[in-house]
Amino acid sequence: MVASRDDIVLECRDLGHWFGSNKVLNGINLQISRGQIVALVGPSGSGKSTLLRAILGTHPPRTGEVLMDGASYRSPHRDRGIVYQRYSLLPFLTAQQNVAFGLKLDQTSLAFRCFQFWEWAKLKTEHMDQAAELLDRVGLSAAKDQYPSELSGGMRQRVAIAQALIMRPKLLLLDEPFGALDEATREDLQVMLLKLYSENVEARAKGEQPPYTILIVTHELNEALYVSDRVLGLSQYHHGGSEGAAIVYDKAAPVYRPHAPKELSDFVAQKEELLKAVFSDEVIQHHSEYVSFWEDREKLTVDA
Amino acid sequence: MIRQPISRSWRIGLGIAAILLLMLCYTILSQSRQNTARREQHTVAGKRLTQLAEQQQQLDLQRAKAEAVTAEQPRQRALDRLREQQLKLDKDLLKWRQIEREPNAADRTVPTWGMLIMEGLIRACTPQGDFERKETWILVDFKATAWRLLTGLLLGLAISVFLGILMGCFDPAEAFFLPPFSFFSKVPATAVLPIFFVLVQINFKMYLAIIAFGMLPTLAQSISASVRKDVPEELLFKAYTLGASQFELIWEVIFRQVLPRILDAARLQIGPALVLLVAAEWMVAGEGIGYRLRLFFQRTDMTVVFVYVLLLGLVGLMADYALIWLRRKLCPWFGD
Repeated sequence: MVASRDDIVLECRDLGHWFGSNKVLNGINLQISRGQIVALVGPSGSGKSTLLRAILGTHPPRTGEVLMDGASYRSPHRDRGIVYQRYSLLPFLTAQQNVAFGLKLDQTSLAFRCFQFWEWAKLKTEHMDQAAELLDRVGLSAAKDQYPSELSGGMRQRVAIAQALIMRPKLLLLDEPFGALDEATREDLQVMLLKLYSENVEARAKGEQPPYTILIVTHELNEALYVSDRVLGLSQYHHGGSEGAAIVYDKAAPVYRPHAPKELSDFVAQKEELLKAVFSDEVIQHHSEYVSFWEDREKLTVDA
Repeated sequence: MIRQPISRSWRIGLGIAAILLLMLCYTILSQSRQNTARREQHTVAGKRLTQLAEQQQQLDLQRAKAEAVTAEQPRQRALDRLREQQLKLDKDLLKWRQIEREPNAADRTVPTWGMLIMEGLIRACTPQGDFERKETWILVDFKATAWRLLTGLLLGLAISVFLGILMGCFDPAEAFFLPPFSFFSKVPATAVLPIFFVLVQINFKMYLAIIAFGMLPTLAQSISASVRKDVPEELLFKAYTLGASQFELIWEVIFRQVLPRILDAARLQIGPALVLLVAAEWMVAGEGIGYRLRLFFQRTDMTVVFVYVLLLGLVGLMADYALIWLRRKLCPWFGD
């Protein structure tokens, strides 16, 4: 699947942010096209969460702007879904109700729910059916009536992803979503993301819009390379590092099919490149060589 | 070992043992009080009999003098008067000899179980008073107090929830309400009662205002703290991304998340609210638990007082369990 600059979902233009005298982000320029699964990696304290919050809209940047489908915004919206590592679900709703919660908020008002009770009851059934279907897709149909406190960490994250996906957001943000999970569960969920990517590929093959665009923040480099088709590195290791972190790495990542054998050897070269460019000051003077995703794409398109 | 769990039967057994021990202590206390009262009565009766014996001697002397009078009519009049005095004295002697022989103290400061049932419970549960105004105290008093308490609690809870959530959600509201609430939560609410009596007319609304005022500062602060602490901001951000409006966020996310805390806080406020209400009734009410307690306290008759205290405890326990049940029903996700 070739990413196209004609179909940009998210764009960050010269984005900067600071807290008092602590300069966090500086001159972030970024474009994500529809259907991409982008991994964002970086050292601790490099501002990954700040960038994510700016993109989500809950903490707008001090300078620059964030655009979705060409329109600038400074607040959260139903078009941008989020899955956090913790507190990802509403504890007072069952798994199914959690998934259906967004539809309820998005499609109805409090007045509608109070004064048009019968219509609401009918709509609610539809929402619950949709939620059940989605839960079935993420392999949780048996646990749909359980509360989050009764679910394991992995199940909770599956529900959280379903909860965000049911809204069909233009961009889904995942903030270290699998950070607190054991290795096996983590792999299961990574495969789930690869399945979403496969759906994107299928949709594009049919000439349809790919349904899922995902930006995943992770500190796990193997995970970043495995689940994404593009890796971004955010770091203060660049020549203007004292002014805040910038994108110092932007390249395509190997694409895997779900359940295809994971060739770790494929990762090694790129992982070392990432460690060099993002997590150390080895290439501080010429980091721009590693920000080449769009140039590489263009070359690829021309060659094709 | 610390926190070693015990079996259910052990738990129940120990609970029953505590109640039985309490009853035994009360029995010993009441018996000892009755014995002391009997001894005191015996001493009083002895002293009284000595006085009566002296009166008898004087009466005998007067009778001898009267019989010595020669004129028929004055003698007869004097003897008649002395006969009447003798009759009264005989009655007194009989009464006090009886008391000296079998002192029946009937001390009501710590009544026996029998007195509690016969004089306290039965009197409280059967219609009392004259023909014009016959009423069953327990019904009248508990109805009056329960109605005041329930309405006051609901009013106080509604205001506290509204202001507590407002303070928890919006910094300006917190900055505005926190100073007065912090101040009033440190003032004992019972100390403010006289101000209420002076400022507000003594009627049903006054009791509501007292209860609501008593619970508002503490409850609103605790709800506000719960909103800030128990609702992580990630959950709020997430709700925004699911399309929640500001009001929906408060109603559908924040309120539902802190509801079990609100119910627990309300449960803990029943006690203080009842203290305030009984204190206010004690001072100014014409009916209600506080009023009846004052009446019987003034007569040092604790029979009805103990029955009321017992019933108050039971009603309090029932209210407590009712709220726990409600929390389990409304918030099954919260657990115990």
